Amino acid sequence: MFTQIKSIYLFLVFVVVALVQLSVPAKMIYDQETVLKTGTLYKFKTQPIDPSDPFRGKYIRLNFEVDTYKTKDTAWVANTPIYVSLAKDSLGYTMIQDVSKELPTKGDYIVAKVDWYSEWNNQLRIAYGIERFYMKETKAKAAEIAHAEAQNDTSKHVTYAHIYVKNGTAVLDNVFINDVPIADVVE
Amino acid sequence: MDSKIQKELSELLHNNVITDEVAQKISDYYLSKKTPDSNRLFVVFGVLGSVLVGLGIILILAHNWDHFSRMIKTLLAFLPLVIGQCFAGYAILKKKTKTWREASGTFVFFAIGASIALVSQIYNIPGDLSSYLLTWTLLALPLIYVLRSHALAILGLVFATYYAIEDGYSFMGNSQIPWMYLVLIAAIFPNYLNVLKTKPQSNLVSIFNWLFPLSLTMVLGTFVVQNENLGIVMYMILFGLFYNIGKIPLFDLQKIRRNGYLVFGSLGTVIMLLITSFDFEWDAMIHAGYSSPELEIVIVLLSAVIGLLGYSYVKKWIANFNPFQYVCILFSILVFTGLVHTMVAMVIVNILVLILGVMTIKIGADKMHFGVLNYGLFIITALIVCRFFDTDMSFVIRGLLFVSVGAGFFMANYILLKRQKAASNN
Repeated sequence: MFTQIKSIYLFLVFVVVALVQLSVPAKMIYDQETVLKTGTLYKFKTQPIDPSDPFRGKYIRLNFEVDTYKTKDTAWVANTPIYVSLAKDSLGYTMIQDVSKELPTKGDYIVAKVDWYSEWNNQLRIAYGIERFYMKETKAKAAEIAHAEAQNDTSKHVTYAHIYVKNGTAVLDNVFINDVPIADVVE
Repeated sequence: MDSKIQKELSELLHNNVITDEVAQKISDYYLSKKTPDSNRLFVVFGVLGSVLVGLGIILILAHNWDHFSRMIKTLLAFLPLVIGQCFAGYAILKKKTKTWREASGTFVFFAIGASIALVSQIYNIPGDLSSYLLTWTLLALPLIYVLRSHALAILGLVFATYYAIEDGYSFMGNSQIPWMYLVLIAAIFPNYLNVLKTKPQSNLVSIFNWLFPLSLTMVLGTFVVQNENLGIVMYMILFGLFYNIGKIPLFDLQKIRRNGYLVFGSLGTVIMLLITSFDFEWDAMIHAGYSSPELEIVIVLLSAVIGLLGYSYVKKWIANFNPFQYVCILFSILVFTGLVHTMVAMVIVNILVLILGVMTIKIGADKMHFGVLNYGLFIITALIVCRFFDTDMSFVIRGLLFVSVGAGFFMANYILLKRQKAASNN
């Protein structure tokens, strides 16, 4: 009798643990979906290269053009959060309106981190935390090459990322070379 | 029963060494003693199978199948985890065998990793490898106790170490101190203690006895932020602590190959002493200065060593004087008093290594243990080799020293062999 009760308790504890285990990926999905469904779309110009992660597979690392910001303020501490306020240029691509340590009162912003600050050229480098775009393993390297080739081409080309932004959270949706999804470019 | 024993028994019977009755008794004894070996084998194969299937699933998902829709990929992310959890839940509810619990637990472990990895892929959530490993391990750890699974405890320890190394030794320059490693280790520790108490002779204990010191040795360096000289002191004390743990009768009475603490402690102490037997090391060390968190860790480790030594005295575990047990304390005094001149400290360390080598040879000779004897000779050889790098001795003298140490190897082993033969003849 006692062992029966004990094993039921154990099972209940297990159910709780299992639910917690399920809730973590579920919460990740929910957070991302919310931003994708209701966030504002921004186009970030970028330069992809191709590394690999042992568990999550191949991805391309996106070096955004707007990852630096000129500022005279020198009091930046690496790895601390900053608020990057966004705006769009005449062609619709993202530019940085302002970088601040305080929460902006209006407009879209991303909560990013200080990568490092160079006093030599007064440049603040920003880590957005959305620099990875996972791709099918056969395509990641090809994507990097496709981008390099597009860049060598003298005709007008742009590689950019679709990023949805809401309440400081940014979700990377897709990457395009000349308006074609990068996965299709290297098909 | 072992077929070898059966063969021996029939031979002994045949030659009238033992009677039928004795043979029967021996046979009964071994039959009653027989452990369910096949069960243990099932557990091992079950766990191995789960590890392979789990890792395989992670790899297959890491391919990033881009022709599946986001919806299907999301379902796939949960599928292995839910299947694994169903098996584990069934094992608990139906009180299934150990094999069930260990295998399903191991599978759930890898399914958690696969699930988080796939969600990260689908939504391009970067998160560095260390935070991914940490979330994964934290989610899996409660199952050690819910499923009473030792395979999960081992996996937890391995992945906690992986996380700490990934977080702490960064080549990009943005490494952090993996404090959460301590939490993970603390979560696994009760399981280890329990096995130590209930099954001190099991293979599992021997695995843990090696994995724990190995993990701690690998990770301690991540707590060294800026003061590498204090890092040397930290390692010295850690190895001292390992040695003293290895001298607790619970470990000391076991075979050396089951006592990872003693081996790590002894080898580590000798290696650290050899490193600090050079004068340039002491030049830096005397001016080490104090920095956080290194100093706090030194204090915590040193208190642990002194506490353990005190407890060992009270329990009367320490019968003979063994310098290995006190080296780390003496070393800390040398570093922290700051009164000692560089040269004096260096000479003391060299004498210390020599004493340790001689003591080890003596212990080897007393116990008639060739391994220990040669380890002692090896310590002295290493010391001499090190001294050859920073002295201006003539080549002839160096050559003679080498020849005499080599001859010493032969002599010591020969004398021990003779003594062993004499002892066995008596």
